[in-house]
Amino acid sequence: MNALTNRNNPAVKFYLKYKRIVIAFLLIIFLFILGEVTVSNFLSLGQILLTIKLASFIALFALCQMIVISAGGSGLDLSVGYTATITAVLTASVMDGQNSHLWIAILIALGIGIAVGFANGVLTAYLKLPPLVVTLAMANILQGAINVYTAGANITGKPSPVLRIIAAKSIGIFPNILFLLILVAVIVSLILTKTKLGVILFGTGANETTAYLSGINVKLVRCVAFIISGVLASVIGLLLIGNMGMAFKDMGSNYVMPSIAAAVVGGVSLMGGDGNYVGVILGAIFLQTLTNLLVAMGWGDAGKWLGFGIVLFVLLILYVSNRRSR
Amino acid sequence: MNKTTEKKQTSSFMNNMVKRPEFSILVILVVMITLTALLQKNFFSIKSIVRNINAFTPLILLTMGQAVVIIAGGIDLSAGPALSLLTCVLTFIMKEGSPVTGVYALVITFAAAVLLGIINGIGIGYLRIPPVIATFATSFMWLGTALFIRPTPGGETVNWFNAFYSFRSLENVPQVIRTIGDIIPPALVLVLLGCFFWYILSRTRTGRYIYAVGSSLESAYESGIDTALVQTSAYIINSVFIFLTALFFVGQNQSGDARLGDPLTLRAIAAAVVGGIALSGGKGSVFFAIVGALILSFVNKIIFFADIPYAFQTLVGGVIVIGAIASSRFYTIYNQKVRKKESSLI
Repeated sequence: MNALTNRNNPAVKFYLKYKRIVIAFLLIIFLFILGEVTVSNFLSLGQILLTIKLASFIALFALCQMIVISAGGSGLDLSVGYTATITAVLTASVMDGQNSHLWIAILIALGIGIAVGFANGVLTAYLKLPPLVVTLAMANILQGAINVYTAGANITGKPSPVLRIIAAKSIGIFPNILFLLILVAVIVSLILTKTKLGVILFGTGANETTAYLSGINVKLVRCVAFIISGVLASVIGLLLIGNMGMAFKDMGSNYVMPSIAAAVVGGVSLMGGDGNYVGVILGAIFLQTLTNLLVAMGWGDAGKWLGFGIVLFVLLILYVSNRRSR
Repeated sequence: MNKTTEKKQTSSFMNNMVKRPEFSILVILVVMITLTALLQKNFFSIKSIVRNINAFTPLILLTMGQAVVIIAGGIDLSAGPALSLLTCVLTFIMKEGSPVTGVYALVITFAAAVLLGIINGIGIGYLRIPPVIATFATSFMWLGTALFIRPTPGGETVNWFNAFYSFRSLENVPQVIRTIGDIIPPALVLVLLGCFFWYILSRTRTGRYIYAVGSSLESAYESGIDTALVQTSAYIINSVFIFLTALFFVGQNQSGDARLGDPLTLRAIAAAVVGGIALSGGKGSVFFAIVGALILSFVNKIIFFADIPYAFQTLVGGVIVIGAIASSRFYTIYNQKVRKKESSLI
């Protein structure tokens, strides 16, 4: 048996454990090289950092999805986009461009996040209604609430300078949001791998009967997963307004579907019970790079969507065939 | 049979009806219809009935297709973009003033619809990609293709294609036919055609296999059913419903639009769930899903006629969807408890 097929070889072991992360990473590099060959000036540090900055919002939303999906019960959270939007819209006038009111905005964000997440969680985990439909209806309710709020008056106000610094500014050439994302990734990875919480979350998703028999309150775990997702989405709303400098009606809705795709490309099993946030971040970067490349090639909207769909489809086929051979 | 037993039987039949979860949904529908009838003047006049049928038809057809797929254990997030793509293909092939191109368009677009179903079916049935994410990916493929064909809404149709919406603007037909079209709208014929199509199918082996595959893929496979083929046929059946919807829209708008179907996808899924189709698969009736579509449609009408400000529409719509599925869920839980009590008494 040679070294490459030997399962005890540390390099092979690493590859087998982090197969998807390695594949996602190689795919991103491949896309950048392809971009450099077909479009000039694609593979530059500035371009890479810009891509990462755009991808970081998808990656943050994908964290919501990852937590909800990992808890199992065919969980998905389609309401994250409008949760973020309503937070941004409501806090804009509160902050009004001053740091002194930031804490009120954060309280509002937490309140909205907990309320939305709690409603989603109770309806799906305790009443056993399908998450896909419940969170979709929740998105409609939030969108409706935004419409009602904005029907009376224009959205006014600006984000606090602190939020601008975190979400929009950069140190040198490195965007600050990148540091935030790395921090989040480290914290999430530590919690999920080193503490009991990770075992509980993934255990619930992998097999709810086993989890129940081991004394885990399955319904509570799923409900809490939705609450965490809601709070995260709400806080991301603050970052979004920080990045854009203002709030508008549909600022968060375009991130929802890409965030689910990023989670899946990053190796989160839609059946629940499996996931790695570093992989999800790479998935988000991959999708953003792909979008950038297709736009840069000048194929327009049609080519962008067609290419996006085909690549996603092919990628899914590869991943699923991986899973089956295991 | 004497009178008392007869009475008992009817009352037990009523009891069974009341105990079914569908009952609460039917009650909601009746309430919705009553409300609409109170709010809308001339609700029962032929004109407004025809108008309502025309407004409800797309959602009804898409919901039926979605219901078939969901019963087979899948879901179709690409239904809306598929609808848009089919309208684009139809208007791409047709040339104004050349009636025969309409026939070509029908045949080619039908083939295209089947092809879309097959691609979804291959991805989900044979390559085993989870349906949510597989149809999510294909939805972008359909959207991209539709935008290639028609970057902006437009296109031309042949005159006889209007017949899929109304006989009014048809040329060279006697007045009698136009009048018939005013009383029996073509949309109703399309819906009945869809119903008939599923009625026949549900009596075939494929129809029964769709339920079997949806309730347990493993058991169905173990008992020798070609599960991948059944899943693929479910998506093809869905495609037929989408095709019928596309005919209606092209008849109505006389143009193709790459963004036409986007908002309808999730509405159709919600309607199917309201109509008692379990997203876990294997449960529910395609005909009953129509009730779900009707409820959602009537909600829109009520909001419109009740002078609720436009801004509230999406809000109220979302609340109603959650309320409808939650109420039927509560109803089931309540009945289970009653049944337990009864059985413990015995």
